Amino acid sequence: MSEPVLITGLGTLGAWGGGSDRLAAALAEGLPLAREVDRSAGYHLPQSARRACLVPPGDLAGWLSPGEARRMSPPSKLAVTAARMALRCAGLCDGDGEAGTAVVIATAFGPSTNTEALLKQILDEGPEAASPSLFMESVANAPAAQIAIALKARGASLTVCEREAGPLIALGTGAAEIAAGRAGRVLAGAVDEMIPLLHALLDRFGALARPGEDGEELARPFDRRRDGFLAGEGGTVVVLESEAGLAARGGRALARVLARGGAFDPTAPPSGWGHGHRALARGLRRTLERAGLKPRDIDLVVSGASGAREGDRLEAEVLRAVWEGGTLPPVAAPKAVTGEYGGGHLAAAVLAAAGSPLGPTPGFAETDPALGITPLDGSPREAPAVVLATSLAAGGAAAWVVLGRG
Amino acid sequence: MQRIRPGWRVAVTGIGAVCGLGWGVDSLWKGLRAGRPGISSFRRFDHSRHRTHLAAEAGDPPESFVRSCPGWRRLSIADRFALFAAREAVARAGLALPLGEEAEAGVYFGSSTGGMYESELFFERFLRDRRGRLSSLIPQQVNAPGDAVARHLGSTGPVVTFSSACASGALAVGAALDAVRAGEVEVALAGGSDSLCQLTYAGFNALRSVDEAPCRPFRAGRAGMSFGEGAAVLVLEPLERALARGAEPLAVLAGAGASCDAHHMTAPDPSGTGAAAALDAALADAGLPPEAVGFVNVHGTGTPLNDAAEWQALKKVFGDRAGELPLVATKALIGHLLGSSGAIEAVATVLCLHHGELHPVAGEGEADPELPVNLVLDEPLPVPGARAAVSTSLAFGGSNAALVFSPWGDRPGEQTGDQLG
Repeated sequence: MSEPVLITGLGTLGAWGGGSDRLAAALAEGLPLAREVDRSAGYHLPQSARRACLVPPGDLAGWLSPGEARRMSPPSKLAVTAARMALRCAGLCDGDGEAGTAVVIATAFGPSTNTEALLKQILDEGPEAASPSLFMESVANAPAAQIAIALKARGASLTVCEREAGPLIALGTGAAEIAAGRAGRVLAGAVDEMIPLLHALLDRFGALARPGEDGEELARPFDRRRDGFLAGEGGTVVVLESEAGLAARGGRALARVLARGGAFDPTAPPSGWGHGHRALARGLRRTLERAGLKPRDIDLVVSGASGAREGDRLEAEVLRAVWEGGTLPPVAAPKAVTGEYGGGHLAAAVLAAAGSPLGPTPGFAETDPALGITPLDGSPREAPAVVLATSLAAGGAAAWVVLGRG
Repeated sequence: MQRIRPGWRVAVTGIGAVCGLGWGVDSLWKGLRAGRPGISSFRRFDHSRHRTHLAAEAGDPPESFVRSCPGWRRLSIADRFALFAAREAVARAGLALPLGEEAEAGVYFGSSTGGMYESELFFERFLRDRRGRLSSLIPQQVNAPGDAVARHLGSTGPVVTFSSACASGALAVGAALDAVRAGEVEVALAGGSDSLCQLTYAGFNALRSVDEAPCRPFRAGRAGMSFGEGAAVLVLEPLERALARGAEPLAVLAGAGASCDAHHMTAPDPSGTGAAAALDAALADAGLPPEAVGFVNVHGTGTPLNDAAEWQALKKVFGDRAGELPLVATKALIGHLLGSSGAIEAVATVLCLHHGELHPVAGEGEADPELPVNLVLDEPLPVPGARAAVSTSLAFGGSNAALVFSPWGDRPGEQTGDQLG
């Protein structure tokens, strides 16, 4: 049995600026969007990564009232802005749906600015210095709660934390709320901010792309020379509705959610990727089977490959296992443009399913023979009918979502 | 998208728990039944400069568990709690390890701060002199306890962590129920884990939400919550599967519901409308009328505003019965376990149903005339005929969740899940 779940709106902001048109343009051109991170706090090592895909200043203007902007943490601002963009894209207003609107937001790190500031107060000045306003916006569910408050969304309010797999889990969880008939509308997505402290710590863990001999600092997913990902930030929210709900109010769908699935690799260390591609491949096969699909039905893979040395290796192993050595469909790696975290990958998958062309993969130059995957090179292609979005998180979690045309 | 299969009932076949009353379900039930709070002074960190000085801190783990747990030193305290509770639940369910070889198993977990305590040890040094052991940051992620459970138990199905503050654990149980009903997994481990840390201790104290005495839910003079820590895990599986393999269900998880106040980041909607919506949704999901509910394990933090809003919600859902319905206030004994409170209170609810009696809390202090509730005080209250029980979780940010359990068994005077309408 299946219940059609439609994506009727997309709001996104990140290094590409505000709006899905800007992201679509950046993806079509294959432009790397990273810029310099503020390293003045001294958190970074001398030879550290220097760049990240950061939201340009000023791109929230017009989306938040002064009162909202004053009381919200940076991720809450990104989330509420993306939600309002998504509603506008869907032809809806704040408060439409109210009681029946659920919110499902993924975040890998939560409101880091507030957490850092609060920890400094507690650890440096003493616990009596802790600010209540910082604390209330330091919790991981602050962005989801602020969306609900701003838009009067009184359905379930869920915050998913599963690192890089979170955005696709949030989309799948939101679709399940619609399919179960518990929500008439769902705002689902992801949000994260990339503060200097977090950037420096990711770099100290060896997770980030470092500047090459040529001075370039690129993610290079699936490339033989890949050495880490570009950290990113932003917010992406989609509007999910049932087919009947959309028909009742009139409107158009960008895409439809055909299936969700997940799996776990118990061989993964807590901060990296393991070698359990067989278990993950079994999970992906089940995901496709639940949608009545076979691997050959997939027209495009929007991969979560980020340039992480081991993460991309595992991703390639899983895809090759599912396709049983056969020819893979075209594989896109949009995190080379959007960076990791903040929902750019989720937005790219929705745009691809909606027919927006994806261009070349910045930074990719040389196929890794051990992986055997060459991501999109900008050649013209037919719009895909069925898109598989993938994401393998450090620590072992995996999530997939299958999208179809609207 | 998969639709939930109608008519599928989901059994609770195993439970596990750690909290200030001890390690293991037997310690939990013994402590709950005695009605004596496990809330006292604690040792986890120096709290001399904090505003309050009490918590229900979990004691030392059983030595046999420490020895049997690979990589013990690298696990955060929240990870350790989670692993103990998960292992106990799986053992009580009679499932073999590794989980992935027996069934498609998923892990659905809640946590509010993951390994924040260990992170604070790192940041104390890093923020001062830019040095620190990175390894202590590895389990910092909120998803770390759930991931640790899947990793150590060899689970290969989906793993999802919810971090919706104090509703996280209950939301995780609800998500697990969905996954089992939809056939996405055959077995689900649902629960939560959180440990004491300075961030939340100082944060809630900054909000003046913490009582300087052990918390007194629904009592006059109540002045806030008490902190607790620990983990709880429930094993869920289709009832037919459980019976087919010879497992003895402890209860049936009949329904789940969730809502949001959409009112304020920290204050509940005083009308109780949002909380009532979650209760209504859970009962509708269970296919049960409010009259079927024999008792409620309330969120009952002991904050003046939260308890008042919860009372309004109970009145909306249960009408005139609200004042007669026995209420169980588990937090008065084990403190507030934050992201795992919904999970451990679900376990407490299952235990009450299974044993046919409700655990009490100490009846010290005055009743609040504004909240004329029927709180179970001083002595366990037999409830042999309860058809169903509800556990509520009402969180920071207005996120509400409710779970409905029904009994399973053939004890005298007790209806079985088969008899439920």
